[in-house]
Amino acid sequence: MSSESSLFSHRWLPALLLAPMILLILLFFYVPVFQAFYWSFFLEQPFGGGSEFVGFENFQRVLGDPEFWAATGRTVVFMLTASSLAVVVPLMLAIAADRKIGMSYPARNILVWPKGIAGASIGVVFAFIFNPFVGLMAPLNALFPGLWNPGIDGTDAFTTLVAAHVWSGIPFNFVILLAGLRSIPPTMYQAAAMDGAGPWRRIFDVQLPLIMPQLFLTFVLEFTESITSVFALIDTITGGGPGGSTSLLVYKIYVDGFRGFDLSGASTQTAILMVFVLLLAACQFYFLGRRINYER
Amino acid sequence: MNKFTLAAVAAVMAGTGSAQATNIEFWYGNTGQVETAIKAQCDAFNASQSEHKVNCVGQGSYEVSMQKAIAAYRAKNHPVLIQFFDAGTLDLMLSDAVEPVQDLMPDVKWDQYIAGARAYYETSKGKLFAQPYNSSTLLFYTNKTELEKAGITETPTTWEGVIEAARKLKAAGHACPFVTDGDTWRVLEQFSARHGLPIATKHNGYDGLDAEYLINTTFAAKHLANLVEWRKEGLVRLAADTKAGNYTAAFNAGECAMMEQSSGSYAAAAKAFDGKYELTVSMAPMYEGYERHNTFVGGASIYVMKGHDKAEIEAAKAFLDFLRKPEQQMFFTANTGYVPVTTDVLDVIAKSDEANSPKYATAKVGVESMNQPATADTRGVRLGFYVQFREVFMEETQKAFAGQQTMQVALDNTKKRGDQLLRRFEQTYKGKQLP
Repeated sequence: MSSESSLFSHRWLPALLLAPMILLILLFFYVPVFQAFYWSFFLEQPFGGGSEFVGFENFQRVLGDPEFWAATGRTVVFMLTASSLAVVVPLMLAIAADRKIGMSYPARNILVWPKGIAGASIGVVFAFIFNPFVGLMAPLNALFPGLWNPGIDGTDAFTTLVAAHVWSGIPFNFVILLAGLRSIPPTMYQAAAMDGAGPWRRIFDVQLPLIMPQLFLTFVLEFTESITSVFALIDTITGGGPGGSTSLLVYKIYVDGFRGFDLSGASTQTAILMVFVLLLAACQFYFLGRRINYER
Repeated sequence: MNKFTLAAVAAVMAGTGSAQATNIEFWYGNTGQVETAIKAQCDAFNASQSEHKVNCVGQGSYEVSMQKAIAAYRAKNHPVLIQFFDAGTLDLMLSDAVEPVQDLMPDVKWDQYIAGARAYYETSKGKLFAQPYNSSTLLFYTNKTELEKAGITETPTTWEGVIEAARKLKAAGHACPFVTDGDTWRVLEQFSARHGLPIATKHNGYDGLDAEYLINTTFAAKHLANLVEWRKEGLVRLAADTKAGNYTAAFNAGECAMMEQSSGSYAAAAKAFDGKYELTVSMAPMYEGYERHNTFVGGASIYVMKGHDKAEIEAAKAFLDFLRKPEQQMFFTANTGYVPVTTDVLDVIAKSDEANSPKYATAKVGVESMNQPATADTRGVRLGFYVQFREVFMEETQKAFAGQQTMQVALDNTKKRGDQLLRRFEQTYKGKQLP
């Protein structure tokens, strides 16, 4: 036996300690997942009055529905723009905070604070900040009437959503990336500087390659997170509008299932979304994960 | 309140007496002033007798209440009474989860309900499924003070008149003459009803689940296209165009001068206007050359859910009886602006010395609006997945307002997507007959 298992003398103790967590995951994740997959093959009446097995008909319908593809398209655009920005912005902040510039110590502290705010609260605040009449853009609107209005213009609404998501993603990614930067031995920079590398050169040739594991982690988490966690923001800022311009897949599923009582349609889309997210994570690990060198 | 309580006590004492109080739950979705009134009614009922106790639970919105009811029903943990809104009527009728009130209480004089309210909630054989509770209808609100400032002395009754007034308001420098949120209920359903236009074939679905939408071919399409043009002209504003960001708030604050809104908003508007502006409410405007028909009843009704024992059903009946009492309906109307929909209550109001009091203003005009001549297409909307259809309509028409597509394309898309919903509903409830 290896040294790790000798920590627990009893064979069943580890299993017992894990049991509550496994039970919770089973109850609140695997059972609903199974239910969703099951319902996606049926036409289910909301009050359970009866259900009919329809095979792959639900999938056929959903995959042939232009609205589904429009929502999927918006989800992908959001995933690419919002999650890239949600890594790049904290990366710039982390690099700045890592350098010994003025205020970098308090900044390292303050930038973590948004982590403590729930998505829905962020949504409420951003809806106010981007309000066309009283918010940040109000002076611009006064100069050019109608320039900014997320309640009418879909692009404005989408931009608001991306901004809110990036802002809410700063603390976690900032902490991870800063930790990565702090762990790089200062001798590396000194050596690079001795060889005549300027600050930019040092960022691209020393810092970025050395924090690849952290960058990879934040990207993987962001990509999958951005698909599902955006729900709270949509619900509080735009409600999916205007004209469905911010109705991402995760929100469409909620509206179809809970507001429209279409359990089968919502389940089918859930099943498809779940497969999509799993494939996405698998691709990232397969194509990117293998290229990352975790050794220093 | 005391007078009501005493009357209620007398009524309940006349029934049977038993020792143990039966507890039942009633789920509702309203908030704000309406919720306060609902709670007051629950308290009054519980104080009026000791046999039954109703526990009124607010769920925050009609939709949330329904979501929870679906989950609770599947877990056999559902309330006895649940309030639900107009658009879910067909979902509940076919759910097999509710007992028609007219079956439970055959002796009640259901014909006292005005035809406009009955038609929405009754079966093809004329049996009432739910007891109308907070009934409303669409009314036309104006800020008389602002209109007079722009030289308009008479409240417009036609769309032509509304637009003429809007032009004058705009010329007088008013930034927001008419405001709407473009909501399906307001701009499509109530518009179609009072102009006698069908929303779907089979008389809006009353004659079968195989109905199809007609909204892109009726005069409603022209009206909606007009709204887009009027918005470009600066006569009509959408909720998102206003500083308030919410059209009712924009009207109540005096930012906008005219709006179409449910009678249920009256109490809040009157309160906000008090001492600042003069408020008028009248029937919603018509296009010239169209005969006026009835508007639909809106708001919500109360359903009795299946799967409860006799004592609980008795308690539910007692509470429903209590809510039907003229005093209770009048109390509710006076405190919310919702409209009483039984003839006995309307008689009591008409004979009382408060007949012309502003607190009953919506009762008079609202009932007048719902009592206009009816056709087979103005009974109501009986279409499946209708809540989802409302979302589709909003989504497509918002694109038209934003200039991404014409209103005609928006309505063609809405029809296409709406018909798909109807076909799926038909398949989901295959073999079921409309009651």
